[in-house]
Amino acid sequence: MFDSKVVRRRRAALAVFVGLSLVMLTAYFGESAGGVFHTLQRGTQEALAPFETGAGRALKPFRDLFGWFGDTVDAKGENDRLEGEVEALRKRVAEADTATRDVRQLRGLVKLSRQEGFPQGTEPVAARVIAHSPTVWYSTVKIDKGSGDGVKEDQPVIAAGGLAGKVTRVTGGTSEVTLITDASSAVSAQVMPNGANGVVKPELGKPEDLLLDFIEKGRRVTKGTTVVTSGFTSSKVESRFPRGVPIGRVSRVDLDEVELYQRVHVEPFADLRRIDVVQVLTSKGSPDEQQAEVLVP
Amino acid sequence: MSATPGAFARVALIALVAVILQLSGFGPDRLFGGRPDLVPLVVAAVAIYAGSVAGAATGFGTGMLLDLAVGGTMGASSLVLSAVGYGVGRYREVRDPAHGLMPIPVGALATLAWVTAFAAVSFMLDVGASVSPLVFRDMLLTIALNAVIALPVFALCRRVLRPALLVDPLDLRRRRQPPREAGPLGLRGLEI
Repeated sequence: MFDSKVVRRRRAALAVFVGLSLVMLTAYFGESAGGVFHTLQRGTQEALAPFETGAGRALKPFRDLFGWFGDTVDAKGENDRLEGEVEALRKRVAEADTATRDVRQLRGLVKLSRQEGFPQGTEPVAARVIAHSPTVWYSTVKIDKGSGDGVKEDQPVIAAGGLAGKVTRVTGGTSEVTLITDASSAVSAQVMPNGANGVVKPELGKPEDLLLDFIEKGRRVTKGTTVVTSGFTSSKVESRFPRGVPIGRVSRVDLDEVELYQRVHVEPFADLRRIDVVQVLTSKGSPDEQQAEVLVP
Repeated sequence: MSATPGAFARVALIALVAVILQLSGFGPDRLFGGRPDLVPLVVAAVAIYAGSVAGAATGFGTGMLLDLAVGGTMGASSLVLSAVGYGVGRYREVRDPAHGLMPIPVGALATLAWVTAFAAVSFMLDVGASVSPLVFRDMLLTIALNAVIALPVFALCRRVLRPALLVDPLDLRRRRQPPREAGPLGLRGLEI
């Protein structure tokens, strides 16, 4: 144990592994998206996808069992809240149906859709989540649809309830989706119905609580209002999300007299901790076809 | 552990299964708001049974596989897990633990080292967003859950590694029976 040769060899081994890790870190940050390590990552993800799919399906009963315990505890309290919400939503659906009919007629008459950049036609592709990022620092999931199914990078992804994220890496049969709770995520958003614009960013460690930043003080945001994608481009990250995809509901508004902006907390509609199925909003036809489709209601 | 192809294959199998299970099976599980993390447990298990060099090598390989499979920053997990594997291996070499419940504190401490060091590395490298204090709750829950599952995970790893091990640190029979012709201190030639 105290043989100096053994000690030297042991320390040398550690130094080699640490050195190799640092070399990989440096090279990874230095290379482009088509570099060696990125290509290796794509290849590995594609190779492991069948195993992850199989393991995910085999372990699903166990996941559901554990999930059942937690869900039962939460269900009682949630039931009362949902009953009230259903009542309110019924009223809003009736109003929305009327408004939709009116809007459709008006759109056909004055062709407003072209000027307003109405949501472009998309083709939803359903996909199953086959892998989740294991740490809180990277909020990504892998899905079982790839370029062969028409999925491309930057396409928006929705889960039950609302926006989940966007596609950031695509292989032939799988794709990586960066969730809106990832540290790198920034989604330009709009509070409905008052139209206040802001940027939805995550707060690491709190996937059930997003932050809507950069809203002017003058635009008062109230609790309970809905936040949707605005379709604008934020200062740091180019937003590829179409306008009008629901993100979440305003759960709290912090008003600070010192800060220039309000700090709005948003509870996402989609349960991003436990998503099994998502939809990728892939492009539907050429842009010209999409415009034509919008103009003919 | 003898550096034979069979030993490499056993360690590689453990690492591969752990990463795949972590990504597809254990990841979505959230017990009491947290989730167990198999990766530091298997690295710690290999290190405790096979020593510091094997632990560091396993940490490096498992970390690289994890970074490749997750699409995270290459080298970050390798760096942290190499150090975790080496540290646990050195603990075994210096203290030679043999208690049956040893996997629980070792697994918990290895997980603590992994989550804190990985958080620090991630935070320094490329996390620009604000960080909620709830991150610490997640870390604590992961450590607690890993402590709970440490015993079966270590036992499974031991079973897989055992044919390739030169010395099994948990082999109590080895300790209870001193070598023949040894003195009362268990040292040959010192029959005091």
